[in-house]
Amino acid sequence: MEPAASESKRTAIQRIIGLRDFGVLVATLAIAAAFSVATPVFLTPYNLFNLLRQAAELGIIAMAMTILIVSGEFDLSVGAIYAVAGVVTGLLAMKLGVNIWLAALAGMAAATLLGYLNGLLIATTRINSFIATLSTMMIFRGVAMVLSQGQPVSTFRPGLFFDLFGRAELFGVVPVPIFWLAAWGVVMYVVLHRTTFGVKVFATGDNREAADLAGIKTMRVKRAGFLITAFAAGLAALISLTFLKTVTPTQGTGLELEAIAASVIGGTAMSGGVGSILGTFLGTFIMAEVRTGLVLLGTDAYVQEAFVGLVIAVAVIINVRLSSRKK
Amino acid sequence: MAESPFLAIEQVSKRFGPTRALDGVSLSVGRGEIFGLAGENGAGKSTLIKLLCGVHTPDGGRILFEGKPHRPRDPEEAGRAGISVFHQEIPVCPNLSIAANVFLGPAMPSRGFAPDWRGMNRECAGLYRSLLGEEVDPTRLIRDCAAAERQLALLVRVLSRAARLVILDEPTTALTPPEVARLFGIIRRLREQGITFIFISHMLEELMALSDQIGVLRDGKNAGGLQRGDFELGRLSAMIAGRTIARQPRRGAAGGGGDFLTAAGLSLPGEFEEVSFRLGKGEILGVAGLQGSGRSALVRALFGAPPPARGDLRIEGEAVQIDGPVGAMAAGIGFVPEDRKTLGIFDDLDVKLNLCMAGIDRFSRGGLLHTRRLRSLAATMRDRLSIKMQSLDAPVTSLSGGNQQKVLISRWLALKPRILLLNEPTRGVDVGAKQEITELIRSLADEGITFVISSSELEELLVLSDRILVMHRGRVSREFAAGEVTKEQLILAATT
Repeated sequence: MEPAASESKRTAIQRIIGLRDFGVLVATLAIAAAFSVATPVFLTPYNLFNLLRQAAELGIIAMAMTILIVSGEFDLSVGAIYAVAGVVTGLLAMKLGVNIWLAALAGMAAATLLGYLNGLLIATTRINSFIATLSTMMIFRGVAMVLSQGQPVSTFRPGLFFDLFGRAELFGVVPVPIFWLAAWGVVMYVVLHRTTFGVKVFATGDNREAADLAGIKTMRVKRAGFLITAFAAGLAALISLTFLKTVTPTQGTGLELEAIAASVIGGTAMSGGVGSILGTFLGTFIMAEVRTGLVLLGTDAYVQEAFVGLVIAVAVIINVRLSSRKK
Repeated sequence: MAESPFLAIEQVSKRFGPTRALDGVSLSVGRGEIFGLAGENGAGKSTLIKLLCGVHTPDGGRILFEGKPHRPRDPEEAGRAGISVFHQEIPVCPNLSIAANVFLGPAMPSRGFAPDWRGMNRECAGLYRSLLGEEVDPTRLIRDCAAAERQLALLVRVLSRAARLVILDEPTTALTPPEVARLFGIIRRLREQGITFIFISHMLEELMALSDQIGVLRDGKNAGGLQRGDFELGRLSAMIAGRTIARQPRRGAAGGGGDFLTAAGLSLPGEFEEVSFRLGKGEILGVAGLQGSGRSALVRALFGAPPPARGDLRIEGEAVQIDGPVGAMAAGIGFVPEDRKTLGIFDDLDVKLNLCMAGIDRFSRGGLLHTRRLRSLAATMRDRLSIKMQSLDAPVTSLSGGNQQKVLISRWLALKPRILLLNEPTRGVDVGAKQEITELIRSLADEGITFVISSSELEELLVLSDRILVMHRGRVSREFAAGEVTKEQLILAATT
């Protein structure tokens, strides 16, 4: 008697409704429908591609952060890491004349190193990651400011590198950042939902003591989470640099909170052990569609921010209700 | 009127679902008396206390307190009636002073909106003097107080609220012998002032030292009582144990020890000292002892969580250094922890992942999870242990307690261990599942797996074990061959 037999008794519809991400999907579609009715411009390929391109950096970071949050930690320093990676790449390429590819590699390495430091700090001191990464957020931001002396770096010469990460449009319509968002999404999905490492991430966040007793090196799992998140911040910084052709030491301020918000809207539990990459992707999408939708409606920019906050609250409430009903 | 006792419990019953926690229990306590309440775990002591303090209400019978019917709906109402319970888990505010903890609540002395600290400190010191006959610095933070000081603060707190009956639930477990003596002195002094006590303890000698009379519960029923003067250790432990159940030792062959697993002088400061034993292959060693006797810490230490600080551990004559769960697994040791919920189950994950979590890397194929292999192993274990579930993909929390426990056992069994450590293997499972798990452990031992089992249920140890190690205050007090020991002997060895 294979258990698949009892599984197939449920209809396809029941299975879809039973999915953890169903609530977020409904919210995403409902918001899209509302804006489509309100303004005809919303549901056009141009707008949707534009929306996704703008969401690419946030999405890349948020999906990585989801892995970290599921493992029971989070990282407030990603915004600053994103700035350091951009500044390091920009300075090497522009001030020292280093080849842009090598400069980008150094930027990614810098980001990953900062993620390693976050993990090291938490592993050795066992400080709560909120406090630990709050402090590294300020330190890393300071590093970006000192390196750049507070000045933006720009006037990059265009080239293949810039096309590849930010400027090109696949098939003449799809901005290349969307490709990176999708590719990174697939990687993150496989890592969290299809590997033994992913199982350890869930176990660590769900019940750390039990995970330790099952022979899982939970601290190593968390440290890997910090590395992945920082690496994602580096990748996002390259996309930003190549698209805007400029980097500023203040870029990505508040990005960490948006990434956490996207993750939470997508159903990730702040206490760890619950979360999904698809959910976070949809959470990112919700934040982006609310922003662009309000812009298209011509709403006051100050109101937009407040409205996004409202959406976060509503989405989380709906998600909590749906998941508690399932239990 | 003068005839009615201070507290009369008459034919009180309480059931939870199918289990009768209390079945027609009657007790009578006089004013200014110290009443000792004894019984095994699950005998009904805590249920009785919860009826008195309003956590539960009785299904049948009645309670008369000072001649009036007593049927509180919540602990607050019981407190107003004059009954207070005093146990280890009473919440304190560690960052507030002794005085603040004594008076914290709606009736806190105040001047306008500000708390009257000076008045509180003065009053608190006065209460300590008049009630306990002790001097105190009321401004000390609870955080800086030893366990004994905290207890006194809580005692003063309930007494300042005009408690006339104080229930002491295992007050001595965290105390050193001199602190116990001091507490007993204070309790006797308070008795002189007319306060009545119900004193619950597993330590029979303490019960006999302090109580004016002792009542014993067993399986939710009265099992007799003794008046001061008739106190005798043997009679008391016989009352607590009841008649010894007939049982057949598993098989005499393995008894007598062997050299498969040997421990010499294992110590973990604060938990246990100088524990040694020898165990043959396929033998079952039971570890008995009260809470805090070092029983579960010993079993955990064999798994390296945390490892013993000193001592020598050998498997098949070879010294093994177990520094953590990973090392223990490599040595072929598995461990089912005492608390399924907090230490074992991943409640957001499904059955199959819960079952295969130990050594999850076996299912890695270039890092990717080999789901098919994982499913098939999970299905094999499910069939072998007949674990009842809707499907392997069902959340583990949808399983009954007994089936969850089987999942945890199979988590280790799937690794084909040489040694299995079980802590409270049947806690919180129903009778049928208990029987199944017992049989499972026996048949696994017959297949050659060596067991070390710690349990608070003596009957379970008697049924399962080949030999039983009894621990008392961190040391091995006796070692018995299972065939020749009675439950009374175990109780005596564990409590004195």
